[in-house]
Amino acid sequence: MIRIALPTGDMRRPVAQALAGTPLDSPDYAAGSRVYRLGLPDRGDVTIRVFRERDIPIQVALGNYQLGVCGGVWVEELRARYPAEDLSPLFPLAVGRGRLAALAAPEQAAQLGPLEEWQRFSGLRVVSEFGNLAEKIVAHLRLRRPRVYAVYGGAHAYPPEDADIALVHLGEDQQSPDGLVEMASFHESGLWVVANRRALAGLDLGEALASLRPAAAAVEGGLRLPTVAQSLGGPPLALERPERPAGVRLALPDGHQQPHALASVRDAGIELDGYGDADVQLRPRIAVDGVTVKVVRPQDMPQLVALGQFDMAITGRDWLADFLACFPDAPVEMAVDLGRSRYHIAAVVDEDLPATTVDEALACWHARGRRMIRVASEYPNLADRYARQRRLGRYQVVPIAGASEGFVPEDAEILIEGSETGKTIVANRLRVLERVFESTNCVVIHRGRRDDPVLQGLLERFRRGVPATTAVT
Amino acid sequence: MSPTSAAPLRVRGMRDLLPDEMAAFRKLEDAFRDVSSAWGYREVRTPALEYLHLFTSAGTLSPQLLDRVYSFLDWDGWSGERVVLRPDGTIPVARLFGESARDLLPARLAYVQEVYRFATGDQPRSEWQCGTELIGAGGPLADLELIAVGVETLRRCGAQAVRVRVSHAGIARALLAAAGLGRAEQVAMYDALLAGDRAAVERLGALLPGALSAAVLLDVAEAGVGYVTNLQALLGDRVPGLAEPLAELRTVVETLDRLHVDCAVTPLLARDFEYYRGVVFRFDVGEADVGGGGRYDGLLEFVGAADVPASGFAFDVPSLLAAVRIEPGGPLTVPLVVERDDPATYAAAMAAAKRLHRAGVAASVMRAPAPLPHLVVDLEDPARPFVLRSDGGAEREGDLGAALARLERLRR
Repeated sequence: MIRIALPTGDMRRPVAQALAGTPLDSPDYAAGSRVYRLGLPDRGDVTIRVFRERDIPIQVALGNYQLGVCGGVWVEELRARYPAEDLSPLFPLAVGRGRLAALAAPEQAAQLGPLEEWQRFSGLRVVSEFGNLAEKIVAHLRLRRPRVYAVYGGAHAYPPEDADIALVHLGEDQQSPDGLVEMASFHESGLWVVANRRALAGLDLGEALASLRPAAAAVEGGLRLPTVAQSLGGPPLALERPERPAGVRLALPDGHQQPHALASVRDAGIELDGYGDADVQLRPRIAVDGVTVKVVRPQDMPQLVALGQFDMAITGRDWLADFLACFPDAPVEMAVDLGRSRYHIAAVVDEDLPATTVDEALACWHARGRRMIRVASEYPNLADRYARQRRLGRYQVVPIAGASEGFVPEDAEILIEGSETGKTIVANRLRVLERVFESTNCVVIHRGRRDDPVLQGLLERFRRGVPATTAVT
Repeated sequence: MSPTSAAPLRVRGMRDLLPDEMAAFRKLEDAFRDVSSAWGYREVRTPALEYLHLFTSAGTLSPQLLDRVYSFLDWDGWSGERVVLRPDGTIPVARLFGESARDLLPARLAYVQEVYRFATGDQPRSEWQCGTELIGAGGPLADLELIAVGVETLRRCGAQAVRVRVSHAGIARALLAAAGLGRAEQVAMYDALLAGDRAAVERLGALLPGALSAAVLLDVAEAGVGYVTNLQALLGDRVPGLAEPLAELRTVVETLDRLHVDCAVTPLLARDFEYYRGVVFRFDVGEADVGGGGRYDGLLEFVGAADVPASGFAFDVPSLLAAVRIEPGGPLTVPLVVERDDPATYAAAMAAAKRLHRAGVAASVMRAPAPLPHLVVDLEDPARPFVLRSDGGAEREGDLGAALARLERLRR
């Protein structure tokens, strides 16, 4: 069986176009079906699995899939941290080109100057969705005492208040967003066909490769790191940054959490302009004196609050728990449980697994010869803690970015997953083995700002606004 | 619990040291400690975890090595600051000096520590280093002291064919600066020269004033003091900044000659061109490179001591152990065997073991059966409680010392 990993999301359309008319052309894939595993009408020996793009290099490197198609930047993101992984980039496709650009606000860009001069500054803050590449780049540039914030997304929203430089992937013709200045480009590529190195050495993938080969483009671009001196010497400089706005900084979530946060804000009687049902602005205006608002990813909020970049934020208890599982001493805590966006974080297994407890499940897997228990989750720290507490023995946490229900049973034994109704779990022939905890949306605050009167006033409004039907006792 | 699959339980690239290997390691370590202590070096130990930025910004590690460090966010690493498993011995000691030992100037510090660097496959991912750092003393005399510590340690370990290769980082530095190259270009050019790139030699030659040939750097692999004299005559007054490095190198080489240390001059030696500022050296045992070091003045800038001169070296312990083949040796352990399970026999065996320990003899108590020959502690005849059991039979002894002497004879 040849197993191929293809991307979902924005890249689905260009990949489907590239595969059109080839033996790997799947009507369901092209149509954007929500099914994660696709067959091919005339090829019983080929399985296609749809993943979030960033998961594909990991899955191919692990050997769960022999071939994959994903952005070259995600390949470099994996190889920046794990150069020895069994991942072979084979050839690029002529679609999905983009660049990893360094963006800064104009005032900071003017101070920083050319790349080679950045090491004069101490404590530069670099934010990126590509955390491994960001670490590699700052080490290569010999930055002094840099801070790298690996975030789930929306890195362009951070400069200048919350980061100095954002490493952001921009499409080929995409201009720098939000008035930021593009200072350098470190990586350029399109989509790549990648293979598991062992599979390439030992399996006949010829037909599948021949199907993909006509869509190949000439190799160009890739990772480009400038040569810099190891040390420019001289005392370190401090970058001048905009003054932190006085008062309280509040972070609100985008994405799936937004409707729940919006309802909670309305329950509290707080008026917002630029954060509604239909529109989201990066910096909405709030009708409360002494408060400024910014929209960021809910996953990143616990860290942002711990860092002091926000005083309070509305996020999920799941993301707070995941952050604190990794950094238990971080000065962020839940202040108000808003009671909305309620779902269970659960350990999910294959519905056919004849087990009702973790011990029984372990016995089944061991009896089948599987010693390494793979725990897939969008919450890697919670998954790690769960595996330790449940004494899974030899285990492997597989961090995933989404499309999670498709991982069990082929690519993981357990999925640590949030489920509101359980319907998606059942639809994917999965079953909840046990619930880990219940998540709701909540207000988190920086521990050192507990006594701020403006913050206390906001908290009181949120507390009063929690509907009795959603209140957690 | 016993392993249930064939998968190895030891992390790839990490190694265990078995008793004989550990004994050899200790002998080498003892030789290093004895010699460095005799030269006034005091041992320090630094933590396995350090901040990553110490290594990235101080310019001590090449980009290739930086890609192989074990760095991660600690449990309190929410601020985005990474820590690293110590990938190098010098920077932590320099940090220690800057934070806690400034009043020791000149500081003679020694360490025996493990460093961690990722390697693929079964290549080692950790290495032990025996190293010294001499902080606050500069010039050729300090360089010579470090070389002396290294050579004496090697000889103490029984190494044959000890050779020191020496160079001066200032030679390449002066030539590359004279060629008008920027700092980043100098790094790239130096790497090309070190790799033996002839095109780079020609390119450099074309850039040097007065049509000098840079081939003098590559056409001589190893040479004596005469080569330094020739370089002085050829380049000394034509390339700014070259006279002092050549003079320092000559002093070192001539002194080593007088001390009868086998020494060779190598024009390009150290890979970390920007890290080293003065004399650099490598120790060879036969064909094996077992360690080296050099002068890194300026490195202490990161602890606010840019004007403090410093130099150091380290032995790579596995390379050195392979090159000198230290016999593990060590005392044989006397097996005191009990064949009856009663408190009186146990107590007699334990008391006998203690008597041997006090006499400096290793002895351990065990139950039968045990490999022959061995001593059995048997109270059936309390006047003669020791039974020497061997292939030839069993004989009773009343005196532990006599029984031990006979056991040793049988063993030999």
